[in-house]
Amino acid sequence: MASFVPTSEETLEDLRRYTEDRLVDVACLDCLARVRVKKNSEHQTSVQWSAEARSACQEFVRRDQRPGGRDVHKPCTRLMASIDDAVRAGAVSVGAYDGY
Amino acid sequence: MSDTRLLDQGTQPIRFARGWHCLGLASDFADGKPHAIHGFGTKLVVWQGASGELNVLDGYCRHMGGDLTQGEVKGDNIACPFHDWRWGGDGKCKEIPYARRVPLRARTQRYETVVRNGQLLIWHDPEGSAADHDILPPELPDVMTDRYTPWSWNTREINGSHCRELIDNVADMAHFYYVHFAFPTSFRNIFDGHTATQFMESKGRPDTMGGGYGDENSTLKSVATYYGPSYMINWLEVDYKGFITEVILINCHIPTGPDSFLLQYGITVKKPEGLDEKACAYIAERYTESFGDGFLQDVAIWENKVAVQNPLLCEEDGPVYQLRRWYEQFYVDVADIAPEMTDRFEFEVDTTKANEYWHAEVAENLAKRAAAEAAAPADA
Ligand code: FES
Ligand SMILES: [Fe+2]
Repeated sequence: MASFVPTSEETLEDLRRYTEDRLVDVACLDCLARVRVKKNSEHQTSVQWSAEARSACQEFVRRDQRPGGRDVHKPCTRLMASIDDAVRAGAVSVGAYDGY
Repeated sequence: MSDTRLLDQGTQPIRFARGWHCLGLASDFADGKPHAIHGFGTKLVVWQGASGELNVLDGYCRHMGGDLTQGEVKGDNIACPFHDWRWGGDGKCKEIPYARRVPLRARTQRYETVVRNGQLLIWHDPEGSAADHDILPPELPDVMTDRYTPWSWNTREINGSHCRELIDNVADMAHFYYVHFAFPTSFRNIFDGHTATQFMESKGRPDTMGGGYGDENSTLKSVATYYGPSYMINWLEVDYKGFITEVILINCHIPTGPDSFLLQYGITVKKPEGLDEKACAYIAERYTESFGDGFLQDVAIWENKVAVQNPLLCEEDGPVYQLRRWYEQFYVDVADIAPEMTDRFEFEVDTTKANEYWHAEVAENLAKRAAAEAAAPADA
Protein backbone atom coordinates (compact mmCIF):
# COMPACT_ATOMS: atom_id res chain seq x y z
CA MET A 1 0.00 0.00 0.00
CA ALA A 2 1.52 3.28 -1.06
CA SER A 3 0.95 6.14 1.32
CA PHE A 4 1.45 9.23 -0.80
CA VAL A 5 -0.55 8.28 -3.84
CA PRO A 6 0.13 9.99 -7.18
CA THR A 7 -2.95 10.71 -9.22
CA SER A 8 -1.24 10.43 -12.59
CA GLU A 9 0.62 7.68 -14.44
CA GLU A 10 3.21 10.19 -15.55
CA THR A 11 4.24 10.75 -11.96
CA LEU A 12 5.34 7.13 -11.78
CA GLU A 13 7.28 7.62 -14.99
CA ASP A 14 9.01 10.65 -13.40
CA LEU A 15 9.85 8.59 -10.36
CA ARG A 16 11.44 5.97 -12.59
CA ARG A 17 13.26 8.59 -14.65
CA TYR A 18 14.76 10.34 -11.63
CA THR A 19 15.66 7.27 -9.62
CA GLU A 20 16.58 4.62 -12.19
CA ASP A 21 17.59 6.17 -15.53
CA ARG A 22 21.17 6.07 -16.69
CA LEU A 23 22.61 4.35 -13.65
CA VAL A 24 25.82 2.53 -14.59
CA ASP A 25 27.43 -0.34 -12.68
CA VAL A 26 30.73 0.45 -10.97
CA ALA A 27 32.72 -2.08 -8.95
CA CYS A 28 34.85 -1.02 -6.02
CA LEU A 29 38.52 -1.65 -6.69
CA ASP A 30 39.13 -2.62 -3.06
CA CYS A 31 36.17 -4.74 -2.04
CA LEU A 32 33.30 -6.72 -3.53
CA ALA A 33 30.83 -3.85 -3.53
CA ARG A 34 29.12 -3.07 -6.85
CA VAL A 35 27.09 0.11 -6.96
CA ARG A 36 25.17 2.01 -9.62
CA VAL A 37 26.38 5.47 -10.53
CA LYS A 38 25.15 8.48 -12.45
CA LYS A 39 27.03 11.69 -13.10
CA ASN A 40 25.25 14.79 -14.38
CA SER A 41 28.41 16.86 -14.26
CA GLU A 42 31.95 16.67 -13.05
CA HIS A 43 30.95 17.56 -9.49
CA GLN A 44 27.57 15.83 -9.39
CA THR A 45 27.44 12.17 -8.49
CA SER A 46 24.61 9.79 -7.55
CA VAL A 47 25.54 6.48 -5.96
CA GLN A 48 22.89 3.82 -5.55
CA TRP A 49 23.88 1.04 -3.18
CA SER A 50 22.22 -2.31 -2.64
CA ALA A 51 22.06 -4.11 0.69
CA GLU A 52 24.59 -6.61 -0.65
CA ALA A 53 27.08 -3.92 -1.65
CA ARG A 54 26.49 -2.05 1.60
CA SER A 55 27.54 -5.07 3.64
CA ALA A 56 30.51 -5.82 1.37
CA CYS A 57 32.11 -2.44 2.02
CA GLN A 58 34.75 -2.92 4.71
CA GLU A 59 34.96 0.79 5.45
CA PHE A 60 31.27 0.83 6.39
CA VAL A 61 31.61 -2.34 8.44
CA ARG A 62 34.34 -0.66 10.47
CA ARG A 63 32.32 2.51 10.93
CA ASP A 64 29.11 0.69 11.84
CA GLN A 65 30.92 -0.71 14.85
CA ARG A 66 31.28 2.81 16.23
CA PRO A 67 27.70 3.63 17.13
CA GLY A 68 26.32 7.13 17.10
CA GLY A 69 29.35 8.40 15.18
CA ARG A 70 28.68 11.09 12.67
CA ASP A 71 31.18 9.67 10.17
CA VAL A 72 28.81 6.73 9.61
CA HIS A 73 27.11 8.99 7.11
CA LYS A 74 30.14 9.86 5.01
CA PRO A 75 30.91 8.23 1.66
CA CYS A 76 33.46 5.44 1.40
CA THR A 77 36.68 7.01 0.14
CA ARG A 78 37.76 3.83 -1.71
CA LEU A 79 34.49 3.61 -3.58
CA MET A 80 34.68 7.29 -4.48
CA ALA A 81 38.17 6.74 -5.87
CA SER A 82 36.90 3.74 -7.83
CA ILE A 83 34.15 5.89 -9.35
CA ASP A 84 36.69 8.54 -10.34
CA ASP A 85 38.68 5.80 -12.05
CA ALA A 86 35.61 4.54 -13.90
CA VAL A 87 34.87 8.08 -15.07
CA ARG A 88 38.43 8.54 -16.31
CA ALA A 89 38.22 5.22 -18.13
CA GLY A 90 35.04 6.40 -19.85
CA ALA A 91 32.83 3.73 -18.24
CA VAL A 92 30.60 6.38 -16.67
CA SER A 93 29.55 9.17 -18.98
CA VAL A 94 29.26 12.67 -17.58
CA GLY A 95 26.34 14.88 -18.47
CA ALA A 96 22.69 15.53 -17.77
CA TYR A 97 19.69 14.74 -19.91
CA ASP A 98 17.00 17.47 -20.01
CA GLY A 99 18.21 18.94 -16.79
CA TYR A 100 18.72 15.73 -14.90
CA MET B 1 -2.21 16.75 -26.65
CA SER B 2 -0.79 19.59 -24.65
CA ASP B 3 2.84 19.85 -23.56
CA THR B 4 1.85 21.72 -20.44
CA ARG B 5 3.16 20.05 -17.36
CA LEU B 6 0.55 19.35 -14.73
CA LEU B 7 1.05 19.46 -11.00
CA ASP B 8 0.12 16.15 -9.46
CA GLN B 9 -0.95 17.06 -5.94
CA GLY B 10 -1.40 13.42 -5.05
CA THR B 11 -3.39 12.27 -2.08
CA GLN B 12 -2.03 12.42 1.43
CA PRO B 13 -1.53 9.37 3.55
CA ILE B 14 -4.28 8.44 5.94
CA ARG B 15 -1.86 7.11 8.50
CA PHE B 16 0.87 8.67 10.59
CA ALA B 17 4.51 7.67 10.41
CA ARG B 18 5.98 4.78 12.34
CA GLY B 19 8.92 5.73 14.53
CA TRP B 20 10.20 7.69 17.48
CA HIS B 21 8.64 11.10 17.97
CA CYS B 22 9.78 13.74 20.41
CA LEU B 23 7.15 15.39 22.60
CA GLY B 24 9.42 18.00 24.15
CA LEU B 25 11.81 18.45 27.06
CA ALA B 26 11.32 15.77 29.70
CA SER B 27 11.71 18.37 32.46
CA ASP B 28 8.68 20.26 31.16
CA PHE B 29 6.47 17.25 31.99
CA ALA B 30 7.97 16.52 35.39
CA ASP B 31 5.68 18.57 37.62
CA GLY B 32 3.20 15.88 38.69
CA LYS B 33 0.47 17.38 36.53
CA PRO B 34 -1.15 16.00 33.38
CA HIS B 35 -0.06 17.59 30.11
CA ALA B 36 -1.89 17.63 26.80
CA ILE B 37 -0.02 17.05 23.54
CA HIS B 38 -1.90 16.95 20.27
CA GLY B 39 -0.55 14.22 18.03
CA PHE B 40 -1.47 11.44 15.60
CA GLY B 41 -4.97 12.78 15.10
CA THR B 42 -5.78 12.71 18.79
CA LYS B 43 -4.74 14.21 22.09
CA LEU B 44 -2.19 12.51 24.31
CA VAL B 45 -1.84 12.80 28.05
CA VAL B 46 1.67 12.98 29.47
CA TRP B 47 2.43 12.81 33.17
CA GLN B 48 5.09 11.89 35.67
CA GLY B 49 3.96 9.41 38.28
CA ALA B 50 5.00 9.41 41.94
CA SER B 51 7.83 6.98 41.17
CA GLY B 52 9.30 9.39 38.63
CA GLU B 53 8.44 7.60 35.37
CA LEU B 54 7.09 9.62 32.46
CA ASN B 55 3.97 8.08 30.93
CA VAL B 56 2.05 8.72 27.75
CA LEU B 57 -1.47 7.50 26.98
CA ASP B 58 -4.20 8.42 24.58
CA GLY B 59 -5.84 11.43 26.18
CA TYR B 60 -9.40 10.13 26.15
CA CYS B 61 -10.67 7.79 28.82
CA ARG B 62 -11.98 4.42 27.59
CA HIS B 63 -14.87 4.58 30.06
CA MET B 64 -17.00 7.42 28.72
CA GLY B 65 -14.43 9.46 26.82
CA GLY B 66 -13.40 11.85 29.61
CA ASP B 67 -10.42 14.11 28.91
CA LEU B 68 -7.54 12.70 30.94
CA THR B 69 -5.42 15.77 30.32
CA GLN B 70 -7.83 17.60 32.60
CA GLY B 71 -7.59 14.89 35.24
CA GLU B 72 -5.27 14.55 38.16
CA VAL B 73 -2.16 12.52 38.89
CA LYS B 74 -2.89 10.17 41.76
CA GLY B 75 0.16 8.14 42.79
CA ASP B 76 1.57 6.66 39.61
CA ASN B 77 -1.73 6.86 37.75
CA ILE B 78 -3.72 9.43 35.87
CA ALA B 79 -7.26 9.83 37.22
CA CYS B 80 -10.06 10.81 34.87
CA PRO B 81 -11.99 13.95 35.82
CA PHE B 82 -15.32 12.35 34.84
CA HIS B 83 -15.59 9.25 37.10
CA ASP B 84 -12.10 8.92 38.59
CA TRP B 85 -11.02 5.80 36.74
CA ARG B 86 -7.25 5.45 37.37
CA TRP B 87 -5.05 4.60 34.40
CA GLY B 88 -1.47 3.36 34.69
CA GLY B 89 1.43 4.11 32.37
CA ASP B 90 1.15 0.54 31.03
CA GLY B 91 -2.24 1.43 29.59
CA LYS B 92 -4.26 -0.66 32.07
CA CYS B 93 -6.98 0.67 34.29
CA LYS B 94 -5.65 0.10 37.81
CA GLU B 95 -8.60 1.13 39.89
CA ILE B 96 -12.20 2.27 39.73
CA PRO B 97 -12.81 3.65 43.21
CA TYR B 98 -16.57 3.02 43.14
CA ALA B 99 -16.52 -0.42 41.49
CA ARG B 100 -16.21 -3.96 42.79
CA ARG B 101 -13.76 -4.85 40.06
CA VAL B 102 -11.98 -3.43 37.03
CA PRO B 103 -13.02 -4.92 33.68
CA LEU B 104 -10.18 -6.95 32.21
CA ARG B 105 -10.68 -5.22 28.90
CA ALA B 106 -9.94 -1.83 30.42
CA ARG B 107 -6.83 -1.13 28.39
CA THR B 108 -6.12 2.03 26.50
CA GLN B 109 -3.57 3.12 23.91
CA ARG B 110 -0.20 3.57 25.54
CA TYR B 111 3.03 4.82 24.00
CA GLU B 112 6.43 3.46 24.96
CA THR B 113 8.64 6.25 26.24
CA VAL B 114 12.36 6.94 26.34
CA VAL B 115 14.14 9.99 27.66
CA ARG B 116 17.01 10.79 25.34
CA ASN B 117 19.22 13.87 25.53
CA GLY B 118 16.78 15.34 28.02
CA GLN B 119 13.82 14.92 25.67
CA LEU B 120 10.79 12.69 25.92
CA LEU B 121 10.44 10.39 22.91
CA ILE B 122 7.56 8.06 22.20
CA TRP B 123 7.17 5.19 19.78
CA HIS B 124 4.27 5.41 17.37
CA ASP B 125 3.29 2.58 15.04
CA PRO B 126 -0.12 2.16 13.43
CA GLU B 127 0.60 -1.59 13.33
CA GLY B 128 1.13 -1.62 17.10
CA SER B 129 4.62 -3.12 17.13
CA ALA B 130 6.90 -2.99 20.18
CA ALA B 131 9.23 -0.01 20.24
CA ASP B 132 12.47 -0.46 18.30
CA HIS B 133 15.22 0.79 20.60
CA ASP B 134 17.92 0.07 18.02
CA ILE B 135 16.83 3.03 15.92
CA LEU B 136 16.68 5.65 18.66
CA PRO B 137 18.56 8.85 17.91
CA PRO B 138 22.07 8.73 19.40
CA GLU B 139 22.98 10.14 22.77
CA LEU B 140 24.81 13.43 22.50
CA PRO B 141 27.98 13.36 24.56
CA ASP B 142 28.37 16.25 27.04
CA VAL B 143 25.02 17.78 26.19
CA MET B 144 23.08 18.38 29.42
CA THR B 145 26.39 18.88 31.29
CA ASP B 146 27.90 22.25 32.14
CA ARG B 147 29.89 22.14 28.89
CA TYR B 148 26.73 23.04 26.95
CA THR B 149 24.06 25.66 27.53
CA PRO B 150 20.70 24.21 28.63
CA TRP B 151 18.25 23.34 25.83
CA SER B 152 16.35 26.33 24.61
CA TRP B 153 13.12 24.76 23.38
CA ASN B 154 10.45 26.17 21.09
CA THR B 155 7.30 24.95 19.40
CA ARG B 156 5.21 26.11 16.49
CA GLU B 157 1.96 24.79 15.06
CA ILE B 158 1.89 24.41 11.29
CA ASN B 159 -1.48 24.16 9.61
CA GLY B 160 -2.32 23.35 6.01
CA SER B 161 0.88 21.42 5.26
CA HIS B 162 1.79 17.78 5.53
CA CYS B 163 5.02 17.30 7.48
CA ARG B 164 6.66 15.90 4.35
CA GLU B 165 7.16 19.55 3.32
CA LEU B 166 9.57 19.85 6.22
CA ILE B 167 11.38 16.66 5.23
CA ASP B 168 11.79 17.90 1.63
CA ASN B 169 14.18 20.55 2.96
CA VAL B 170 16.79 17.83 3.45
CA ALA B 171 17.38 17.61 -0.31
CA ASP B 172 16.64 21.22 -1.21
CA MET B 173 19.89 23.00 -2.01
CA ALA B 174 18.60 26.10 -3.80
CA HIS B 175 16.07 27.19 -1.17
CA PHE B 176 18.97 28.01 1.15
CA TYR B 177 19.81 30.90 -1.16
CA TYR B 178 16.28 32.15 -1.81
CA VAL B 179 14.55 31.41 1.48
CA HIS B 180 17.39 31.41 4.00
CA PHE B 181 19.65 33.96 2.29
CA ALA B 182 22.81 31.90 2.17
CA PHE B 183 25.14 30.57 -0.52
CA PRO B 184 25.21 26.77 -0.16
CA THR B 185 28.76 26.15 -1.37
CA SER B 186 28.80 22.42 -0.74
CA PHE B 187 25.79 20.12 -0.55
CA ARG B 188 25.49 16.35 -0.20
CA ASN B 189 22.86 13.85 0.87
CA ILE B 190 23.12 10.32 2.15
CA PHE B 191 20.08 8.18 2.84
CA ASP B 192 20.81 4.90 4.57
CA GLY B 193 18.42 2.62 6.43
CA HIS B 194 16.30 4.76 8.73
CA THR B 195 18.59 7.81 8.48
CA ALA B 196 18.69 10.67 6.00
CA THR B 197 21.55 13.13 6.15
CA GLN B 198 22.30 16.49 4.62
CA PHE B 199 25.82 17.91 4.60
CA MET B 200 26.05 21.54 3.77
CA GLU B 201 28.54 24.35 3.89
CA SER B 202 27.15 27.79 3.44
CA LYS B 203 27.96 31.44 3.71
CA GLY B 204 25.55 34.28 4.41
CA ARG B 205 24.49 36.67 1.63
CA PRO B 206 25.78 40.23 2.01
CA ASP B 207 22.76 41.75 0.24
CA THR B 208 20.07 40.62 2.67
CA MET B 209 19.24 41.18 6.29
CA GLY B 210 21.04 38.42 8.24
CA GLY B 211 19.11 35.97 10.36
CA GLY B 212 19.85 32.24 10.65
CA TYR B 213 21.91 31.13 7.69
CA GLY B 214 21.96 34.55 6.12
CA ASP B 215 24.46 36.54 8.17
CA GLU B 216 27.13 37.67 5.77
CA ASN B 217 29.79 37.40 8.48
CA SER B 218 29.18 33.78 9.18
CA THR B 219 30.17 30.56 7.47
CA LEU B 220 28.39 27.40 8.41
CA LYS B 221 29.30 23.75 8.35
CA SER B 222 26.22 21.70 8.92
CA VAL B 223 25.55 17.98 9.28
CA ALA B 224 21.88 17.22 9.75
CA THR B 225 20.56 13.69 10.16
CA TYR B 226 17.00 12.48 10.46
CA TYR B 227 16.83 9.42 12.69
CA GLY B 228 13.52 8.06 11.52
CA PRO B 229 10.64 10.16 10.18
CA SER B 230 10.57 13.05 12.59
CA TYR B 231 13.69 13.63 14.66
CA MET B 232 16.67 15.45 13.24
CA ILE B 233 19.96 16.26 14.92
CA ASN B 234 21.77 19.13 13.23
CA TRP B 235 25.39 19.62 14.19
CA LEU B 236 26.44 23.13 13.22
CA GLU B 237 29.83 24.71 13.27
CA VAL B 238 29.42 28.42 12.89
CA ASP B 239 32.41 30.56 12.01
CA TYR B 240 31.54 34.14 12.84
CA LYS B 241 34.42 36.42 11.86
CA GLY B 242 36.85 33.69 12.85
CA PHE B 243 35.11 32.89 16.14
CA ILE B 244 33.91 29.30 16.02
CA THR B 245 30.85 28.11 17.88
CA GLU B 246 29.47 24.58 18.00
CA VAL B 247 25.72 24.51 18.00
CA ILE B 248 23.40 21.52 18.16
CA LEU B 249 19.95 22.04 16.78
CA ILE B 250 17.18 19.50 17.26
CA ASN B 251 14.48 19.80 14.65
CA CYS B 252 11.55 17.50 15.29
CA HIS B 253 7.83 17.36 14.87
CA ILE B 254 4.67 15.50 15.77
CA PRO B 255 2.01 15.11 13.10
CA THR B 256 -1.27 16.35 14.52
CA GLY B 257 -3.66 15.81 11.60
CA PRO B 258 -3.56 14.88 7.90
CA ASP B 259 -2.15 18.27 6.99
CA SER B 260 -0.90 19.78 10.21
CA PHE B 261 1.99 19.22 12.57
CA LEU B 262 3.64 20.63 15.62
CA LEU B 263 7.17 21.76 14.84
CA GLN B 264 9.59 21.72 17.76
CA TYR B 265 13.17 22.88 17.83
CA GLY B 266 15.75 23.00 20.53
CA ILE B 267 19.16 24.58 20.64
CA THR B 268 22.19 23.96 22.80
CA VAL B 269 25.53 25.66 22.38
CA LYS B 270 28.90 24.32 23.42
CA LYS B 271 30.16 26.96 25.81
CA PRO B 272 33.12 28.67 24.21
CA GLU B 273 36.20 28.66 26.42
CA GLY B 274 36.91 31.85 28.30
CA LEU B 275 33.35 33.14 28.20
CA ASP B 276 31.29 33.56 31.35
CA GLU B 277 27.82 32.09 31.85
CA LYS B 278 26.10 35.30 30.89
CA ALA B 279 27.92 35.60 27.59
CA CYS B 280 27.24 31.92 26.81
CA ALA B 281 23.54 32.36 27.57
CA TYR B 282 23.49 35.42 25.33
CA ILE B 283 25.08 33.51 22.43
CA ALA B 284 22.58 30.65 22.87
CA GLU B 285 19.70 33.11 22.81
CA ARG B 286 20.95 34.73 19.60
CA TYR B 287 21.23 31.34 17.86
CA THR B 288 17.80 30.32 19.08
CA GLU B 289 16.39 33.51 17.66
CA SER B 290 18.16 33.25 14.34
CA PHE B 291 17.36 29.58 13.71
CA GLY B 292 13.81 30.26 14.85
CA ASP B 293 13.69 32.95 12.15
CA GLY B 294 15.04 30.36 9.72
CA PHE B 295 12.07 28.08 10.39
CA LEU B 296 9.67 30.98 9.96
CA GLN B 297 11.15 31.57 6.50
CA ASP B 298 10.23 28.00 5.60
CA VAL B 299 6.80 28.27 7.21
CA ALA B 300 5.91 31.26 5.03
CA ILE B 301 6.58 29.11 1.97
CA TRP B 302 4.72 26.04 3.23
CA GLU B 303 1.65 27.99 4.20
CA ASN B 304 1.22 29.19 0.64
CA LYS B 305 2.47 26.39 -1.57
CA VAL B 306 0.59 23.34 -2.79
CA ALA B 307 1.56 19.73 -2.29
CA VAL B 308 3.34 18.25 -5.29
CA GLN B 309 3.79 14.61 -6.00
CA ASN B 310 5.72 15.12 -9.22
CA PRO B 311 8.34 17.81 -8.66
CA LEU B 312 10.12 18.88 -11.84
CA LEU B 313 13.85 19.01 -11.21
CA CYS B 314 16.86 20.69 -12.73
CA GLU B 315 20.50 19.68 -12.55
CA GLU B 316 21.23 21.82 -9.52
CA ASP B 317 18.46 20.27 -7.43
CA GLY B 318 18.94 17.63 -4.78
CA PRO B 319 17.50 14.10 -4.84
CA VAL B 320 13.90 14.85 -3.84
CA TYR B 321 12.51 11.63 -5.32
CA GLN B 322 15.03 9.45 -3.52
CA LEU B 323 14.40 11.33 -0.28
CA ARG B 324 10.68 10.73 -0.54
CA ARG B 325 11.28 7.11 -1.42
CA TRP B 326 13.26 6.88 1.84
CA TYR B 327 10.49 8.69 3.76
CA GLU B 328 7.87 6.27 2.40
CA GLN B 329 9.30 3.42 4.56
CA PHE B 330 7.68 4.99 7.62
CA TYR B 331 4.22 5.02 6.04
CA VAL B 332 3.92 1.45 4.84
CA ASP B 333 3.54 -1.72 6.89
CA VAL B 334 6.89 -3.14 7.91
CA ALA B 335 6.19 -6.12 5.64
CA ASP B 336 5.84 -3.74 2.68
CA ILE B 337 9.12 -1.86 3.09
CA ALA B 338 10.82 -2.22 -0.29
CA PRO B 339 14.63 -2.54 -0.49
CA GLU B 340 14.99 0.74 -2.40
CA MET B 341 13.38 2.63 0.49
CA THR B 342 16.21 1.73 2.84
CA ASP B 343 19.10 1.01 0.45
CA ARG B 344 21.90 3.47 0.83
CA PHE B 345 21.87 6.32 -1.65
CA GLU B 346 24.42 9.12 -1.96
CA PHE B 347 24.09 12.32 -3.92
CA GLU B 348 26.43 15.23 -4.32
CA VAL B 349 24.96 18.39 -5.79
CA ASP B 350 27.13 20.39 -8.15
CA THR B 351 26.87 23.88 -6.66
CA THR B 352 29.47 25.59 -8.86
CA LYS B 353 27.23 27.08 -11.57
CA ALA B 354 24.52 28.07 -9.10
CA ASN B 355 26.98 29.95 -6.96
CA GLU B 356 28.43 31.72 -9.99
CA TYR B 357 24.95 33.02 -10.91
CA TRP B 358 24.12 33.89 -7.34
CA HIS B 359 27.30 35.82 -6.74
CA ALA B 360 26.64 37.84 -9.87
CA GLU B 361 23.08 38.55 -8.71
CA VAL B 362 24.24 39.59 -5.26
CA ALA B 363 26.91 41.86 -6.74
CA GLU B 364 24.23 43.49 -8.85
CA ASN B 365 21.96 43.94 -5.83
CA LEU B 366 24.78 45.55 -3.87
CA ALA B 367 25.59 47.87 -6.76
CA LYS B 368 21.92 48.90 -7.03
CA ARG B 369 21.77 49.55 -3.32
CA ALA B 370 24.96 51.64 -3.41
CA ALA B 371 23.58 53.65 -6.33
CA ALA B 372 20.29 54.25 -4.49
CA GLU B 373 22.14 55.37 -1.38
CA ALA B 374 24.34 57.72 -3.41
CA ALA B 375 21.25 59.23 -5.05
CA ALA B 376 19.38 59.75 -1.75
CA PRO B 377 19.66 63.14 -0.07
CA ALA B 378 22.53 63.18 2.40
CA ASP B 379 20.36 64.07 5.39
CA ALA B 380 17.77 61.28 4.85
S1 FES C 1 -15.04 8.81 31.39
FE1 FES C 1 -13.23 8.57 32.47
S2 FES C 1 -13.87 7.78 34.31
FE2 FES C 1 -15.70 7.89 33.25
FE1 LIG D 1 14.42 25.53 4.97
